[in-house]
Amino acid sequence: MQKMFTQLLGSIERELLNFHQSEKLYFVLGAVAVGLVIPLVASEYVVGEVLTPMIIFMIYASSWNLLAYSGQGSLGHAAFLGIGGFASALIVIKLNLPPVFGLLLGGLFSAGIGLLIGLACVRLKAWFLAMVTFGFSVIIVTLISQFDTVIGGIMGFPTPLIVERGLPFYYTTFALAAISIFVMYLLIKSKTGLAFRAIHENEPEANMIGINIAKYKLIAFVLSTFFAGLAGGLYAQSIRYIQVSVFDPYYSFLPLMMAVIGGLRTIEGPIIGSVIIVTIDSYLHRIDNVLHGLMGPLFPNVSNVGPPLRMLSLGLFLVIVVIFLPKGVSSLLHKINNYFREETKKADNIERK
Amino acid sequence: MVRNRSVDHTMSGILETLLWGVANGCIYILLATGLNIIFGVMKLVNFAHGQLLMIGAYVAFTVSTAFGLNAYLSILVAMAAMALVGVALERLTFRRVLGTDKLNEIFVSLGLIYVFENAAVLLWGNKLKQIPNPLQGGGLLLDEVLIGYDRLLAILIVTIILVALFILLKKTKIGLAMRATSQRSETSKLMGINIEKIYIFTFALGAALAGAAGALYGILLPFNPGIGALPTIKAFAIIMLGGLGSIPGAVIGGLLYGIAENTAVYFLGGIWQDAVAFALLIIVLVIKPTGLFGEKGE
Repeated sequence: MQKMFTQLLGSIERELLNFHQSEKLYFVLGAVAVGLVIPLVASEYVVGEVLTPMIIFMIYASSWNLLAYSGQGSLGHAAFLGIGGFASALIVIKLNLPPVFGLLLGGLFSAGIGLLIGLACVRLKAWFLAMVTFGFSVIIVTLISQFDTVIGGIMGFPTPLIVERGLPFYYTTFALAAISIFVMYLLIKSKTGLAFRAIHENEPEANMIGINIAKYKLIAFVLSTFFAGLAGGLYAQSIRYIQVSVFDPYYSFLPLMMAVIGGLRTIEGPIIGSVIIVTIDSYLHRIDNVLHGLMGPLFPNVSNVGPPLRMLSLGLFLVIVVIFLPKGVSSLLHKINNYFREETKKADNIERK
Repeated sequence: MVRNRSVDHTMSGILETLLWGVANGCIYILLATGLNIIFGVMKLVNFAHGQLLMIGAYVAFTVSTAFGLNAYLSILVAMAAMALVGVALERLTFRRVLGTDKLNEIFVSLGLIYVFENAAVLLWGNKLKQIPNPLQGGGLLLDEVLIGYDRLLAILIVTIILVALFILLKKTKIGLAMRATSQRSETSKLMGINIEKIYIFTFALGAALAGAAGALYGILLPFNPGIGALPTIKAFAIIMLGGLGSIPGAVIGGLLYGIAENTAVYFLGGIWQDAVAFALLIIVLVIKPTGLFGEKGE
């Protein structure tokens, strides 16, 4: 643990030394500036219902992505989102603590459960881990329903807020997301992150050069579930109410889709993916009426063809991205960026001549 | 799959539970065997396998309601249709990610789950449907236990399919080629086996088994577009229980599983039905990752 911490400090130092030279800095500053300014001009509804969830899902999708760095995939991350949400709210309500502690303790509680699941799973191949995590997200619903008298998850209950909803909550979320993603970034750049990548690239070889595979997979699992739990606590606050519906498989597929569409195993991928998916989720339903007018007569069995048609396209989109753009949208942006850089270089050369 | 049952823990109640368990187990055995064959030969896991079951149920439903085909003959139509879907899936999607990152298979199957479920909603709507069954309600009365003919016939059909499959794998040339590919795909290529064709055939076979499972599901139980996900996981639990790559293991695993599930529902209540699969899955994976009858863990 201490070693990891010194590693983290080391990579902070390295990053700060190199940071001002790279153009990465401008992208990061630009993104932060956009994130800070947009809510000032957006309506209250957009801040509360679109931008805040977008930021929360950035943490959530990044936590999933952190797991993918080590070659593991979870199909049941909703379990940890939900556990974080329930734990953070219940701890605050039952123990009368300030809500800030709730968030942190919710994340830690989720990481604790993640440690238990991880201990059982780190030896498993990708598919079985996916299956077990998915299974866990179903079992947890049964458990929470079974202990409903204590938890009250079936009917749900309102969640205590750390700060007022609207702009204050948005900026708190934004700060937490920035810190979380920065920590994950440093982790990926550290030796631990290098071990993750080595395990993903080739497990037997990583084992041969002395990387303790089970240990690093477990580290990835625990850290990932911590951030998922933190996102869960924030999410429960942002929707004001928590219920067992937070364990729906949809919430397990969301971070996966965001990370894959944005760009798997890149730090910006989940961020881009979250922007894309949340925007689609929030605005695309407006074309439902048009879609129904166009396609409705073809499918007489459904009252509104909009939602299934949109979901179908989302699935198709995922398949197409995986097959034709395996590094996601972020690789496309990199290509565009490189293209422009080449062009400016050419222009410079011509001028010099 | 929620059934009304008077809660009396009598002998007849337990017998009926066991029969339900075996009949349900049969459906899952077919599904698990399909997954197992595809995994054995191609080293590929299709998480959308349960959605093939769901589409199979709808195909059987459509041919038996729209064209008045006998429910049991519609099983054959469902198998043929799903085999074609399987060929298309293998060619268009899984082929392209085979041999790349293992996670890519998972992503593709997830996308396919969305595609299939919503396509089914568009084509057939969200309401519960059931295939009209000529044997509905009939059965043998043994010691106050009603043994439904439909369930007995389901067990018989699954047995016939499994025997046919066994003969295909052990006695035919293509079965030999499939077994060779599953052991050493590179070497079988050198031996003149066209593994591309074997892959297509294997995937189509697995999908056809899912189609048969779907038609049987639709005959025994009401279904809607969302039923696919849980059978996939149950099939996984069965594969883990029986051991990866072992067909007899899948049969025993399936029966054990069906009985365990129905017994849990009987004694603990309906909400435990789905949790049983995972509890079993996790216990087996932790204690004996190769399964009860596993030849060799992958």
